[in-house]
Amino acid sequence: MTDDKLHNDLTRRDLLTGTAVTAAGLAAAGSMLTRPSSARAQGKSGVVRVWGEPGPYAGVAVDGMNEWAQKNAPGLKFDIETIGWGSVYVKLMTDLAAGQPANLISVESPLAYQLMAEGLLEPVDDVIDRIGRDRMIEGTKWEYWGKWKGHQYVVPAHHQPHLLMVRMDIINELGLSNPDTWTWDDLLNAAKTIHEKKKMPGIALALGRNLCTAYHFAALLHSAGGRMFDVANKFEVVFDSPATVETLEFIDQLRPYMPKGATEYSFLQVVDSMVTGKAAMVFYWGRVYGRAAEEAPEIFKNIQSFNHARHPRTGNRYNWNDFQGWAIPKQNNPFINEVKEAVAYYQTKREWLIRYVHSLVPNVSPVYKDVASDPRLLEHPFFKTKKDTIMTYYVNSLKYASNTGNELLKGANPLAGIVHGRLILAQTVQKVILDNWTPAEAAKWGAQQLESVRKEHFRLVI
Amino acid sequence: MMAQGPRLPRLSDRQIGILFVIPFLVTAVVFMGYPVVQAIRMAFYSVNPLRPGHDTFIGLDNFYTIFDDPLFWDSFHQATVWTLSSIFLQTVIGVALALLLHVPLRGISVFRGLLLFPYIVPTVVIALIWQWMFNPEIGVVNYSLKSIGLIEENIYWLSTPTMAMASTVMLNVWKYTPFVIICVLAKLQTIPLELYDAAKVDGAGAWRRFADITLPQLKEVLIVVVVFRTIWTFNKFEEIYLLTKGGPGTSTFNLAIYSFEQSIANLRMGVGAATAVVMMVFLLLGSILYLRVFRFAEEEEA
Repeated sequence: MTDDKLHNDLTRRDLLTGTAVTAAGLAAAGSMLTRPSSARAQGKSGVVRVWGEPGPYAGVAVDGMNEWAQKNAPGLKFDIETIGWGSVYVKLMTDLAAGQPANLISVESPLAYQLMAEGLLEPVDDVIDRIGRDRMIEGTKWEYWGKWKGHQYVVPAHHQPHLLMVRMDIINELGLSNPDTWTWDDLLNAAKTIHEKKKMPGIALALGRNLCTAYHFAALLHSAGGRMFDVANKFEVVFDSPATVETLEFIDQLRPYMPKGATEYSFLQVVDSMVTGKAAMVFYWGRVYGRAAEEAPEIFKNIQSFNHARHPRTGNRYNWNDFQGWAIPKQNNPFINEVKEAVAYYQTKREWLIRYVHSLVPNVSPVYKDVASDPRLLEHPFFKTKKDTIMTYYVNSLKYASNTGNELLKGANPLAGIVHGRLILAQTVQKVILDNWTPAEAAKWGAQQLESVRKEHFRLVI
Repeated sequence: MMAQGPRLPRLSDRQIGILFVIPFLVTAVVFMGYPVVQAIRMAFYSVNPLRPGHDTFIGLDNFYTIFDDPLFWDSFHQATVWTLSSIFLQTVIGVALALLLHVPLRGISVFRGLLLFPYIVPTVVIALIWQWMFNPEIGVVNYSLKSIGLIEENIYWLSTPTMAMASTVMLNVWKYTPFVIICVLAKLQTIPLELYDAAKVDGAGAWRRFADITLPQLKEVLIVVVVFRTIWTFNKFEEIYLLTKGGPGTSTFNLAIYSFEQSIANLRMGVGAATAVVMMVFLLLGSILYLRVFRFAEEEEA
């Protein structure tokens, strides 16, 4: 080997060695640059991540929070991330498990109860004190949104029931009676009549393996006098009951008058069913009106919502009311104080609360007395033609409010969030309509699943 | 002569080679080895993802849980059906298309490039588009079939267990057949043309040439392709989850979805990990057996 070649080889070796050392050094430096957000937050600047469900209202709330930020913490920006209802549980659990949840989340009460009991949320008693403890609308209590072991963990954002939504033009054309007087038998008869005479699905419910199915089923179950758990008796599972069997039978009876694809229906497909004129009746929350007003004015003109049909034996007509509120994850959250300030700010500004309600009438119902009685609330154009419907959503539904996290409003149940995560109620329904199990078998299966949840997570409720 | 500055320590070529392999090793250990070891560890613990630091050793209980769960066996069965159907169709269609593309036509390279399209597009995009395509009321699939008179009523592609399974298989075949095509096409181009010429001279028709020349030549690449595609397909999560979420009901659950549900929806990460361990062992044993059978067959032929 010549001296020149040896020299070149040595130079290349030096270059290779140097490159390797440099690469290692850069990697180490890079890891130092990715400091956790908590370090950045000490300077109180950055993005405050806010999760909300689909719809404009969370964005309105965030705008209110940003108004606070502009005045008091100009380095902060509240940023909304919209999570679909079907994805909320999975995404939330994944991010909580990773220790990286959003800084503020808008959650339904069953999920909030689970998170509270797990110790994952920051108490907000101080925020409630600033908002005003005597402001709640008649028929509601702070605890409906999220109170656990003496502390409030959720600041109310709105309440939203699903009701029986009906095409009144079709009802009147067929000479059917006033839906507000219906029992389950009348509802079934109406669905059948519409299906036979108008050659269209009489009713559309969600029957897919998703939360919408669970919410539809739960309202019927509660009307029939059934429940999942007995909160007063150590959360004993009481699901395997005649009421559950009756509810499953009723859904099975309605099934032939639903769209063929209902077995995969979730939230949006039910909305589509009404807005596109496919079905004459649905169980749904108020957002259908917003979409119908934009896309199908004729449908909008003719739809009206009522409290659900009464159970023929119990006379109950429960809805599934999602007491939706703001919860603050306390893990790895550098903005707890700022979030509290911002939420308190917009919640004590009636203009923001009215804007919030107006952003999707009548989907989001006001929760404070002063907002509900403010004359500006009536300035939304929907009040001209849909006042009865709106007041049903806002006020008249409250006496029939229930949900899986607080069944018949008899007490909070943290196990409900886990039940929803496992989609036990939806699966119970699908055992009947897809797997052709008898309602009794399906009820037993559902009860076994609920018992399993209770056993595994009993520490949450003791 | 200019004075030389201080030199870096002199390393041998072997040492430098090791230095350059280290980043890969670190990556492999961190992103492959460590998760596998953690998953195996978690399979023997009760792990609630919301309660880190509260893991409890429970021995084989997670495995008893899954083996006692009818949904685990349903998922296993469905995964097997899904995998076998997909692999069969991918292989048959892949070989057929590769043979078509092997023809020396002008512009054939354009078609070869276009065929890669499904493989390139992200799965999320494909699944969401296919969801819309399969929509029974407004989807283009039903519209097209009705337009040409093949069907009179809408097909509910994702609403029944059988149709949902078929739809997910179709998606999987559409997306991954190009991989089979690429591998087979590459091998086809190495087959000596003299073999075909000689066969023609001997009077062999197209089918005999395919059966006696092409197929034996493709055997080795097909063995490898089938093994890899089987492993990847059996483990598939995103296509099924994005298209059907394992529904309707649990009719399109495979073990990956079952594991995900157990871990996140059911807050039982240990059970999810146990499922993953079972999958790993099953695929490992299956692959070894498969390769041994084919190697054994080759030795017999030799």
